[in-house]
Amino acid sequence: MYGTLALSHRALEDLADAAGRDTIDGLRALARPLEGLRVLNLSVTGFGTGTAELLNSSVPLLNDLGLDVHWQVVRASEDDASVSQAIYQALGGSAVVWTHDMTDTWLRYASMNADLLTDPFDVIVVHDPQPLAIHSYNATNAAAQWIAHSHLDLSSAQDDVWMLLRSHLEKYDAAMFDAPSYARGDISIPTYIVPPAIDPNSVRNMPLPDDVVRSVLGQYGINPDRPLICQVTPCDAACDLVGVYETWKLVQQKHPDVQLLIVLFTEPRDPNARACFDELARLSLADPDAFVVTPGNEIGNVEINVFQTAASVVMQKGLRKGYGMWISDALWKRRPCVVAPEPGLQEQVIHGKTGAVARTTEEFAAEVSRLLEDRELAAQYGENGRRHVAERFLITRYLGDYLEILAQLHRKGDG
Amino acid sequence: MLGSVPTTPKSLEAYRHIIGDEATEEILGLGENLRGARVLHVNATAFGGGVAEILGTLVPLMNDVGLQADWQVIKGADEFFSVTKAMHNSLQGMYYDWTPAMREVWLNYNRLNADLFDESYDYVVIHDPQPAALPTFLEERTGLRNGKWVWRCHIDLTDAQVQVWDMLRPHVEPYDGAIFTLDRYAKDDLVGPQIFAVPPAIDPLSPKNDHLPRETVDAILQRYGVDPTRPMVTQISRFDPWKDPLGVIDVYRAAKNEIPDLQLVMIASMASDDPEGWDWYERTVRRAGEDWDIHVLSNLNGVGNVEVNAFQRAARVVIQKSVREGFGLVVSEALWKGRPVVAGNVGGIPLQIVDGETGFLVNTAEECAEKLLFLLHHPEEGDRMGARGVDFVRSNFLTTRYLRDYLRIFCQLGGISMQEPAPARPVAR
Repeated sequence: MYGTLALSHRALEDLADAAGRDTIDGLRALARPLEGLRVLNLSVTGFGTGTAELLNSSVPLLNDLGLDVHWQVVRASEDDASVSQAIYQALGGSAVVWTHDMTDTWLRYASMNADLLTDPFDVIVVHDPQPLAIHSYNATNAAAQWIAHSHLDLSSAQDDVWMLLRSHLEKYDAAMFDAPSYARGDISIPTYIVPPAIDPNSVRNMPLPDDVVRSVLGQYGINPDRPLICQVTPCDAACDLVGVYETWKLVQQKHPDVQLLIVLFTEPRDPNARACFDELARLSLADPDAFVVTPGNEIGNVEINVFQTAASVVMQKGLRKGYGMWISDALWKRRPCVVAPEPGLQEQVIHGKTGAVARTTEEFAAEVSRLLEDRELAAQYGENGRRHVAERFLITRYLGDYLEILAQLHRKGDG
Repeated sequence: MLGSVPTTPKSLEAYRHIIGDEATEEILGLGENLRGARVLHVNATAFGGGVAEILGTLVPLMNDVGLQADWQVIKGADEFFSVTKAMHNSLQGMYYDWTPAMREVWLNYNRLNADLFDESYDYVVIHDPQPAALPTFLEERTGLRNGKWVWRCHIDLTDAQVQVWDMLRPHVEPYDGAIFTLDRYAKDDLVGPQIFAVPPAIDPLSPKNDHLPRETVDAILQRYGVDPTRPMVTQISRFDPWKDPLGVIDVYRAAKNEIPDLQLVMIASMASDDPEGWDWYERTVRRAGEDWDIHVLSNLNGVGNVEVNAFQRAARVVIQKSVREGFGLVVSEALWKGRPVVAGNVGGIPLQIVDGETGFLVNTAEECAEKLLFLLHHPEEGDRMGARGVDFVRSNFLTTRYLRDYLRIFCQLGGISMQEPAPARPVAR
C-alpha cells in the first residue's frame, strides 16, 4: 500500500476571477471527453517540493473537472534510500559510482512496489525517477497509458545511470519535462513540455488586508513605512545569500532607509549552505535593518504572502535548479523583480518588460536602486509581470496542458 | 566565537498594554539591577524546535531591558548531531545501545567548542545536553570559569536512561544553577547546582498569537476548504501515538452524530525526515476516509504561524487529546485566543487548564467526546471558559513571566538583591 495524501476539495469555478471565464470554459470542454478517466499520480514525496505543491492543487481540480484522479506516494525504504539518492545525484550531473548491486536494489524495489499496485488505472503519471521502473513489473496496469513527468534537468545526466533509466523510460507512452532544456534528444517516445505553475487562489497568493500585512511585518520587527528588499529563498549557496546582503549594502548608500528581508524556507542541508547561513547570520546580526527569517520561525503561506506583498523590490540573486516559482508568486502580486540570468527565472522575468535581469552584485544594486527611485517603472514591471504570469504560469494553463496530453494519449489508446 | 544567531529586536513596552503596569515595572526593575550584565545563551541549533523559538524572543527582550544578551550555536558535524539526537532520545527514556565511541564524539565536540569560546560573560545559559560539557573543557583549558553558569534542561528527565544520565551528570554538577521546565522533571541525584523550575510561555505578540481580524480568519479558512459558517474543532500537534490523532477522529465522529455540520481540522506538525510521523499521518488520513469535513493539513504544506492562529481563533473548541505530553504549550496558545480546551490530563496540561473553569481535563475518549459535545451544545459556556482562559494565561504563561523568572534567577545567582518579590521559586529539596 502506498501513502495516501489528504487533499481538500477544490472548485475550478473559483479560478474564474484569476484566469478568466474563457479559460475555465475551455478547460471544461477539454475535460468532457475525459470524464471518469482514472489517473494515478505517483511521486516519492507528498510535501515540501514544487511537484507536491502542484499536485496538491491540480489533483482536486482535475477531479472537479470530472476525471477520477488519485495521488499516491511511493516511499523509499531504508536500503533503497541511498540508491535513489544516488540516482538523483547522477541525473543531476554529479559524478556517482554506480554499481550492479545498486541496479539490483533499484529494480528489486521497483518490482516489490509494482506488486503493491493492484488497482487498475487508465493513465499512470510517474513524477520521480525512483519509481520509474515500476512500469516494467506491473501486470495489472500493463494496458494503461504510462507517462513519465520528469521535473529534473536530465541534460547532463551521468551516462550509465541514464542508460539504465532510459531502458525503462522507453516503455512509457510519453515523457513530460518542465523545460525544453531539461529534455533529452536520445529518447524515442513522444515528449511534451509542461512548465510548472502557481495557484492564484492559494493562501500564499490571496489578497491580504493592509492592516494584516502591517501587523505581521511589525511582529517580525520590520517597519512597514520604509522600503524593503526581499528575497524568499531556499538556504542554498547557489542562491548567493551573502550577495543579497551585499546588494542591499550598496543600495543603502543611496537609500539609507531601505530594509533587507531574507526569508529562508529550507534549512541548510550541506556544508556550503551552512557556511553561507553562518556568514549571513554574522552580517545581519550586526545590522538592525537586516532581517533573516528561518524555518525555525515556523513561517507559513500567509507570512510568505505578507513578505512578498510588502516588498518594494523582490530579488533572486541566484538559483541552483528549477524555476523558482515563488518569483511568479511575486509577479502575480505585481512586485518588480530583479533576478539572476538562470533559465527558469528568465522565463518569468523578461528583462526590461516584467522585471530586470542582473549578473553582478553591482548590476543588482543598480537595478534595485532604479526601481526604488522610479516607482512608475516598478509599477509597470508589476503590471506586466502579473499579465505574463496570467498568460504563462497559472495552474489553469498547467491543467490545460495535462488535459490536452491526456486527450491525445486517450485517442491514441482507443485507436 | 561560535556561530551567532540573528534575532529581531523586541521591546518590553509593547507588552505593557497586555500585562499591565505592575508586571512591566517589576521586569524593568530587575533589568535595572542587572544593567549591562553580559549574557550568553548556547544551544545546538538555530533552526526549528521549541528552544530556538523561546530564544528568539527571550534574547531580544533581555537586551531591551538593559542586559547584553547574545545567542550562539555550537558547531558540530553530522556525527555529533546523530550522537546528540540519540542522547536526547535516551534522556527522554528511549533505549539506546550507548557505546564508548558515542561518548567520545560528544566529548570531543564539546572540547572543540570550548576552544572556540573566547569571551567572558556574567551569565552563561547552556540549553539542553548537547553543549552541556562546555564548562568542563573551559576549566580544563583555562583553569577557571568566569561568570555564573546555568544549565537549562528542556527535557523531562524522569525516565532518562541511566547510562546516559550517568555520563552527563558529572558535567552538569559543577554548574551554578539548573533550570527545569517542571520541578518533577529534575533528577533527584543531581547535586551541586541550585535547582529552579521555569515553565514555558507563549509570546502574545508573535504571528502565532497576535490579534487577527475576523475577515482574515474567515478568508484563510475558506482557502483551506473549511467553511467558516459551520462549527469547527481543531487539534494542532505532531502526529504520533502520544497525541492520539486517531482518537481525535473518533471523538469528532461521536460529536458529529449529534452535530452533523461539524468540521474537524487537524494540523500535523511534521519533520521532513521523520518516517514515524509520516506513518501516523497516513493512518490518520485512512481513518478520516471519505469524510470531507475532516481536513488534515501540515506545516510541510506551508501551514505556519498565522494559519495556526486563524484555526485556533475560529475553533468552537480546541482539542488536545494527548495521552502523554511534555508541557503541551499549544494548550495555552488556544486559551489565549479565548477558546475552551478539552485536553488529556497528562504532562503539563493540568497546569494550564483549570478543570471546569477554562476547559476540561479528560482521561478517556468517552469523556473527551462528552465534554466536547457539552461545549458544542453550550457555546456561551465555551466563550465564558475561553475568557477565563485568557486571564489565566495572562497571569501565568506569557513570555514576559518567562523573562522575569530568568532575571530573578540571574539576580539570585549573582547575589544581587531584588527589590521586592521572592526569589525565582528555588525548589526545596
